[in-house]
Amino acid sequence: MSIATWFKGVRLPRGAAFGPPTPLPPPQRIYLPLRQHRGAVCQAKVEPGQQVGMGQVLGSSDEFDSAAVLSPVSGTVEAIRNCADPAGQPVPTIVIANDGQDIWASPEGEVRPPLSDPAEVAKARPTRLLRRIREAGLVRAASQGLPLHVDLSPPMAPRSYLFMTGIPVVRPTDTLVIRALDHDPPVCPNQAALAGLNLTELDLGVTALKRISGAARVILALPAGAVSGELTALARLREWEIRTQSQTHFPYCLDNLLVLGITGREVPTPYGEPRDVGVVVEPLVTALEVGRVLISAKPNLERVFAVAGDVAKPQAFVARLGTPIAEAIKAAGGAVGEAGKIIVGGPMMGFAHFDAQTPITKETEGVFVQAAEHVRRYDDHPCIHCGRCVACCPVNLVPAELSKLCEFQRFEEAAEADLFHCIECGVCAYVCPARRPMVHYFRHGKSEVLARRMEQ
Amino acid sequence: MSSPLLTVSTSPHRLGRTTIRSMHLEFMLALAPALLTGFYYFGLPGLSVVLLATASALLTEIVTVRVTSLPNRVADLHAVLLGLLLGLILPAGVPWWIPVVGGVLTIVLGKMVFGGLGNYPMNPVLVAWVALSLSWPEHMNAYFAPVPLGSGGEFAVTETPLMALKNDIGSLEIYELWDLWVGNAPGAVGATGSLALIAGGLYLIIRRLIPWQIPVGALLGCVLMSLVAAYTDSRLLEMGMEGLAANLKVAWFHLATGGLMITAFFLAPEPVSSPVTPWGALLFGLGVGGMTVIVRTWGAWVDGAFYAVLLLNTLTPILDRIRPKVIGKVIGGAV
Repeated sequence: MSIATWFKGVRLPRGAAFGPPTPLPPPQRIYLPLRQHRGAVCQAKVEPGQQVGMGQVLGSSDEFDSAAVLSPVSGTVEAIRNCADPAGQPVPTIVIANDGQDIWASPEGEVRPPLSDPAEVAKARPTRLLRRIREAGLVRAASQGLPLHVDLSPPMAPRSYLFMTGIPVVRPTDTLVIRALDHDPPVCPNQAALAGLNLTELDLGVTALKRISGAARVILALPAGAVSGELTALARLREWEIRTQSQTHFPYCLDNLLVLGITGREVPTPYGEPRDVGVVVEPLVTALEVGRVLISAKPNLERVFAVAGDVAKPQAFVARLGTPIAEAIKAAGGAVGEAGKIIVGGPMMGFAHFDAQTPITKETEGVFVQAAEHVRRYDDHPCIHCGRCVACCPVNLVPAELSKLCEFQRFEEAAEADLFHCIECGVCAYVCPARRPMVHYFRHGKSEVLARRMEQ
Repeated sequence: MSSPLLTVSTSPHRLGRTTIRSMHLEFMLALAPALLTGFYYFGLPGLSVVLLATASALLTEIVTVRVTSLPNRVADLHAVLLGLLLGLILPAGVPWWIPVVGGVLTIVLGKMVFGGLGNYPMNPVLVAWVALSLSWPEHMNAYFAPVPLGSGGEFAVTETPLMALKNDIGSLEIYELWDLWVGNAPGAVGATGSLALIAGGLYLIIRRLIPWQIPVGALLGCVLMSLVAAYTDSRLLEMGMEGLAANLKVAWFHLATGGLMITAFFLAPEPVSSPVTPWGALLFGLGVGGMTVIVRTWGAWVDGAFYAVLLLNTLTPILDRIRPKVIGKVIGGAV
């Protein structure tokens, strides 16, 4: 981390430390959106009224960039209807009434034997491991995450915006970063996973990810002060590097900035991903899920996530996918104070949702509850040009100017001034003394520019 | 699916504690040492100038908001801050109506005609100061000699160190450098206490309310341009001052006197009219510091610090175009 970086970004208040995730009993009714990642929507493979068992395929797609939706409980399909997904967009959703029996569906096709020996995994064919991951319906545990099998594969074709020399190049993956950091405290699922760390699962998961991605180098990115002796021993045995970093220094735990800090490689924005520069970043939660899938030879039906903010007992849970957020909030002791916001994700980059019945999906990292008295209001005060946003912007933009251009509808000029390189971390809005809705302006500007370009 | 009525907005959902009002309060806190120094050396006349300017600016803001349809943002205390700053750069010996007129000019001519906070192109305080200086030069030069509180002396109009320097370069030897730094010298109410101003300015930099590049650039520009002025001045050689150490004495003199310190830490980094990009701010600061000494040495005016800021304010939009390299922007890449 350079000296300039140290002065950028903001230091967020440190939330309470999280213990290991608490299991949440399966709810009466679960909601499964047919798209739980960035990519193609699945086709429903069941009918309303049909009996389903655990692990049964409810939706799948022939597209590469989709992950199958599997039933996390046994019960009856009540309906298939459009519901809002965690990003607020309507997605066909399968509603299942849980019968509480947890009966596994008879496995379709061949039964996969469990893989629990790291040495065996390290030599296994990558396509074999990748098929298992795809069948288990794994998705990278991050907002707007890709299906894991897509995330681990090198880009299918070189992308036009990366032709710096005019020669299309696909950079092979050489580094795997396991991110045990949470970018948006106090919503810290990775911290909770680290607290109750199952070293066997971690070993197997990381070994498999390393084998599939082809990375020669594995780096564990841990929060400062969370390095345990056992983990260090395992890392030394497997020749993993350990890097520590402060979690409260926002937004330096975001993937692009983490890659820049650890490897010095600059991920191209706006459409680039770490794998474009030869790095695969996976959250710890995902690495553990991979390990669990290989050991148990069963699909992954649960997710570790955090509930923080104005609830009686902020904590991490492990719950079936499709559990409504309202159930998780109830299990965390209920919301404190008058209802304000329910935010899917963290307080800095999360999405304020209008519906407490929104399910926990494969993308969910956590829920942040905000009481009405803590909801902050934005103002339409003119920019006072103080320059605090410029001093803090982690990607060196001039947010003050961009916000003015977007405010006065000069969208093309904003695009010229690198609007599209904004990562929407919200640091500028956080430090703005005039309380301007900076991120809102940027999103509005981006959507306007894209809409106009589509018209042309 | 029923649920309680929830608020929906864009992220971030948590905001920092700094508001415009708190920012202005901190600016005023940072000005407190300079005000106390001014009160110590210029007594009640000095204090009354500051209070009159502040009250006038505040009242004018209240009246302007009532008369025009501009939104009422008196509570952000910007008018109080502007009036305070104006009072601090006025001489203690001015007639009572000078700060009153100055306060009106600051708010009306400097701020409100452009649409209020955030929209004016130049520092309103300096706009008012220039208007006063051009209109009533005889009053605006009524600088008092300092009379420390409790020493019981009479206030008398005298010439400032910069005026003395302009008339005779030999006056470099007259003043004790320490007196200039603590503020025990004739000058404007709040502009003489250089150490007090540095203390306040450092507070602002540490609290990240002003970019460090502007004060650092201004002080650096002042030192560099003073050295240029000193090395090219044959009169210094005649006085027997030769070499870097002797020439640096000229630089220390320029740093400690006149309006340079209050300019470097408070007037030049005034948020609205100064650049925001790192290199733009540094160049802005260097320009302010350099121009100050140029005017002092070769110009017609005694002190150039305030004019330098106004001149550089007009360059702010251009300086803001010097942007840092955007992280993630691939050279030659399409949007």
